[in-house]
Amino acid sequence: MRTLRIVGIGFEALVTHKLRTLLMMAGTLVGVAALTVVMAMGKGAEKKIMKRVENFGPRAIMLIAGGGKDVPGPDLTTTTLTLRDAEAIRQNIGGIEAIAPAAMQRQMPIKAGAAQVQATIFACESDWHHAWDWYAQVGEGITDDDNSMLARVCVIGQTVREELFPDTDPVGQYLHIGNVRFQVKGVLEKRGTSPMGTDFDNRLLIPLTTGMRRLFNQDHLSYIRIKVAEVSQLETVTRDVRRLIHERHRIGPAEEDDFRLISAEIVARFAAGSSRTLSILLTVLAGLSLLIGGVVLMNILLISVKERTREIGLRRAIGASRTDVFVQFLAESLTVTLLGMAVGVLLGWGLCLLLPRFTPMPLVVSWESIALATGAAMAVGTFFGIQPARRAARLDPVKALQ
Amino acid sequence: MMEMNNITKTFGNGEMTTPVLKGISFTIDQGEYVAIMGTSGTGKSTLMNILGLLDRATDGRYLLDGTDVTTLDDRQLSRLRNKKLGFVFQQFHLLERTSARKNVLLPLIYAEEYPDDADTRAEAALVTVGLADRVDYRPNELSGGQQQRVAIARALINDPELILADEPTGNLDRRSGLEVLDVFKRLHQQGRTLLTVTHDQAVAEHADRIIVMEDGQVAQDQRVDQPRDAARELEQFQQEAQA
Repeated sequence: MRTLRIVGIGFEALVTHKLRTLLMMAGTLVGVAALTVVMAMGKGAEKKIMKRVENFGPRAIMLIAGGGKDVPGPDLTTTTLTLRDAEAIRQNIGGIEAIAPAAMQRQMPIKAGAAQVQATIFACESDWHHAWDWYAQVGEGITDDDNSMLARVCVIGQTVREELFPDTDPVGQYLHIGNVRFQVKGVLEKRGTSPMGTDFDNRLLIPLTTGMRRLFNQDHLSYIRIKVAEVSQLETVTRDVRRLIHERHRIGPAEEDDFRLISAEIVARFAAGSSRTLSILLTVLAGLSLLIGGVVLMNILLISVKERTREIGLRRAIGASRTDVFVQFLAESLTVTLLGMAVGVLLGWGLCLLLPRFTPMPLVVSWESIALATGAAMAVGTFFGIQPARRAARLDPVKALQ
Repeated sequence: MMEMNNITKTFGNGEMTTPVLKGISFTIDQGEYVAIMGTSGTGKSTLMNILGLLDRATDGRYLLDGTDVTTLDDRQLSRLRNKKLGFVFQQFHLLERTSARKNVLLPLIYAEEYPDDADTRAEAALVTVGLADRVDYRPNELSGGQQQRVAIARALINDPELILADEPTGNLDRRSGLEVLDVFKRLHQQGRTLLTVTHDQAVAEHADRIIVMEDGQVAQDQRVDQPRDAARELEQFQQEAQA
């Protein structure tokens, strides 16, 4: 009860000196709001990355034509990856659930009546659907029959469908890829953004045989997608595939690869790369603003201790112990911190709700980030509140009263 | 009720030490009205601070109500100040922007138990000092004399054993000073123990005992045969003012 009354003095001082209270609060308020928003940004980016990894397929390995270190797509001028490689993998490497060789061409002009769109063409086998876990939502997918008959049929992505057949049922309709006419037999499920940030749904599937012999006139593949049976096998399968292709393509240890092997892990690392660095940087900046807020709080309190020296002396004379004075001033800084924290969280939260209306940035407010922001604010408030409270408590009452 | 035994106080340490109190001994009994007199630099303020438990003696024994306070820690001393002592300062030391009532209530914050009748007590204390009609006034709305009387009411709120006043009239005009001394006189008549520190002979003569300090020692300790009567002097002063 007595302590509560002493805490009450600190509280009353805040009510009396409203402007000073506001100034003391400002740093904490801005810091907490910034931390909440920045952490929501980080969380949003993380979620986006997770979604991309999910889209890529957590059990997938992409054997992509063309060397180099970059993650983005196949190099279409590399001609060394072939169907025989795919067959060799199928024969020699265990632990594989599905394997899907594919040839692709980017930015192919596609027409349907007056409507026109540019999309990426993937020539593939029936197993492609299984390897990608990506099936026809309407109609049906590419089948073995389509491949054996070199059928001029296609399955279109959602974006292509929206562009070419906005109002009609596309199944059974015809479209032209270049000069070749194809019949639409299905529409793919919506998939969203690729790991590289491109539109996954702006695509069109055709049978592999049709693609290689009729449309692209090529013998090589762009990629072979391998889906392992168990996530735990990713590493071994990747290693085995690398060894096999090295052997088949006669690549010596000193030579540069003419292919890349990409797994979910690499995709995650690539996608996270810059956004994580930025997120860490922003969090540090927000934390810094909180820290500066703490320093401001401390200095205002130190000035206030100086201004209230006589008051402190009087309080000591009428029965306040050193501890009582300490408690009074610490209560003042903690109350300010709590207040700033509460308003800061509300402000940050509000911004997180408001910002997505103006920017495409994904923001995810989580309890962890709020807990972290308030925890940090509390720590800062306590740390910087202790010094002024100690100074107040240590004042010699005799000198304070003079 | 209060006994000082060979109290010394030395400031500074090492080679540069200044003795301020050089062995002070006296006792004050319940109900006495004592003035400690001396010119500045005689150590009377230091003595006052030790008496008020705001400072510690370098050596000697100080018994307050039978308790040896020289060995107590900050917490225990604070509790004693709160329970047994009431302070009146030269500069009043009231909290600004705070009503007379709240100023008077201040010491109760530090009491062990906040009394249920706190507000009634505050008002009663203000009645005692003649400020019944100023309960909700703030210090800046009161005259100096009134402010000092609020401070006296504050000293009374915890029903202290001893009221310590340090130059209580030092910042007041003659009339206000007499009003304060009148309040002291009435408190004394009610049986309270008062100790005033002053350099002013005229103020000291209102007490019924004067201890004169000189160079850190008690030079004189005498009863006053005929203490001055503040009420009468106040009346005279008013008549002179009208004339």
